[in-house]
Amino acid sequence: MSSKSNIKDKPQKPEDIFDPNNNSAIIIKDLVKQFEDVTAVNGLNLEIKKGELFGLLGPNGAGKTTTINVLCGLLKPTKGTAIVGGYDVRKNLKKVKELIGVCPQEPAVFKFLNARENIELFGNLHAMPKKKIKERTDKLLELLDLTEASKRKTKGYSGGMRRKLNMIIALISDPEIAFLDEPTVGMDPRVRRSTWEFIGSLKNQNKTVILTTHYIEEAEALSDRVGIIDYGELIALGSPKELMEKYESKNLEEVFMKITGRRIVEGI
Amino acid sequence: MNLQRIMALVKMELKKLIREPAYLFLMLLFPAVLTLAFGIAFGDPALGMDFSVLTPGLISYACIFIIMTVAMSFTEQREQGLLKRINVTPMTSGEFIGSHMISNMFIAILQVVIVLVMALFFGFRPLSDVVGFILAFLIIALFSLCSVGLGLITATIAKSAGAATGISFIFILPQMFFGTFIPITDTTRIIAMFLPSYYVVDALASIFGGAPLTSENLLIDFGVISIVSVAIIIIGIQLFKKYGNK
Ligand SMILES: Nc1ncnc2c1ncn2[C@@H]1O[C@H](COP(=O)(O)OP(=O)(O)O)[C@@H](O)[C@H]1O
Ligand SMILES: [Mg+2]
Repeated sequence: MSSKSNIKDKPQKPEDIFDPNNNSAIIIKDLVKQFEDVTAVNGLNLEIKKGELFGLLGPNGAGKTTTINVLCGLLKPTKGTAIVGGYDVRKNLKKVKELIGVCPQEPAVFKFLNARENIELFGNLHAMPKKKIKERTDKLLELLDLTEASKRKTKGYSGGMRRKLNMIIALISDPEIAFLDEPTVGMDPRVRRSTWEFIGSLKNQNKTVILTTHYIEEAEALSDRVGIIDYGELIALGSPKELMEKYESKNLEEVFMKITGRRIVEGI
Repeated sequence: MNLQRIMALVKMELKKLIREPAYLFLMLLFPAVLTLAFGIAFGDPALGMDFSVLTPGLISYACIFIIMTVAMSFTEQREQGLLKRINVTPMTSGEFIGSHMISNMFIAILQVVIVLVMALFFGFRPLSDVVGFILAFLIIALFSLCSVGLGLITATIAKSAGAATGISFIFILPQMFFGTFIPITDTTRIIAMFLPSYYVVDALASIFGGAPLTSENLLIDFGVISIVSVAIIIIGIQLFKKYGNK
């Protein structure tokens, strides 16, 4: 899938990533997103292949969430183009929304509904057939070990349970392209591992997954390729193995260290 | 327009009404308690405020509070990231707003039923026929749109759900004091003429008082309510879409 030539230190030019065979799930060209005084995404170029589990790794404030929000249409790009599932997010957002599932960084669930009601609500918002909603809800609740709690209102859920539900809602529509924004933050290690397994299993269903994280192990364990971003710019791109070889590092933390002289997670 | 999407949100809103004490109180218990209190306090026609005067006011009073719950609901959902979450599904903004209009019309009609049934108990005897009642429900359904629109405007201005409660009083208080069951003098009538609740109360009073449904007065009321409600809901939707959905 990815050859050595994919490793680039500098932002790629658009012509490097243009995809005539339509094998890309996502194409980002010269993307800039500016808030009043911050440039959150600064000239990002990136192509993500269909069926790929792509890790977007970078420290807090690097621009991961902003990138995701542009890709799912919540933010308008200041400059540049974002193509999701073959549709330009500026021109054809309705089509994009039919293809994607989004797991927001901050869990967003209705407190006065139980887990099942939350999931089914979003299944309905995707206009899925009722039978399919029920089947998938049962399956996802089971896979993430939430069946027992699913009849209780989410008001009383623990942080970890709420995060699991947050992810199930994102995946109820069986999306072609899933954006998971730091889905395991704040989960305890055991739950985190089982969630990794679950995310890994999406790959076998040939889904494209964009996973943002600032956990090095998470990116290493799951991603086909990772893009490391810092201050809104892509500073490295390739499979974890390729990157570690190229920078003669034993993990991605060291890769980041060698490029930036800083650590990804501060204070460790 | 996809009915499945709209009904899913309507169902969610109605579950909230039953399960969230703040909404249950403001929308259903408050009108009931108010009717009860007025029934006990002023139930005696000798006091000059019998239920034929009170009922139209109580009904529109309840409907005015939809401003507050709509504003609370939208700010809460915005704070909790739920508006964004709904926004990344294929639901259109038309379907989204439509579902809020439907659920609040339903709530408003429920309020009318509560107030009417209780008022009947306290001796209220409306002189209208079936068509009159249908017209009364229609007027309240329209008036609920006005409240939804003002609620959206409040949610656009308010930064938090807490602020929304306070700011909604800008729209609630004048309609409460000058438009509902507080007797209107010649001075306050001038203020009241600018408030939609005044026309709602006037129309309901005519209908329950047995006035012919084709009377000029009623037609004017109905016209004003329709125009104002449609205008306000359109303004509310546009403002919220532009500035409130962030
Ligand atoms: N709505 C916003 N308004 C202003 N600045 C923002 C906004 N959202 C994000 N930022 C800024 O943009 C930068 C990137 O943020 P974000 O994309 O959330 O980073 P990450 O997800 O990688 O932690 C940060 O400096 C953040 O403060
Ligand atoms: Mg983030």
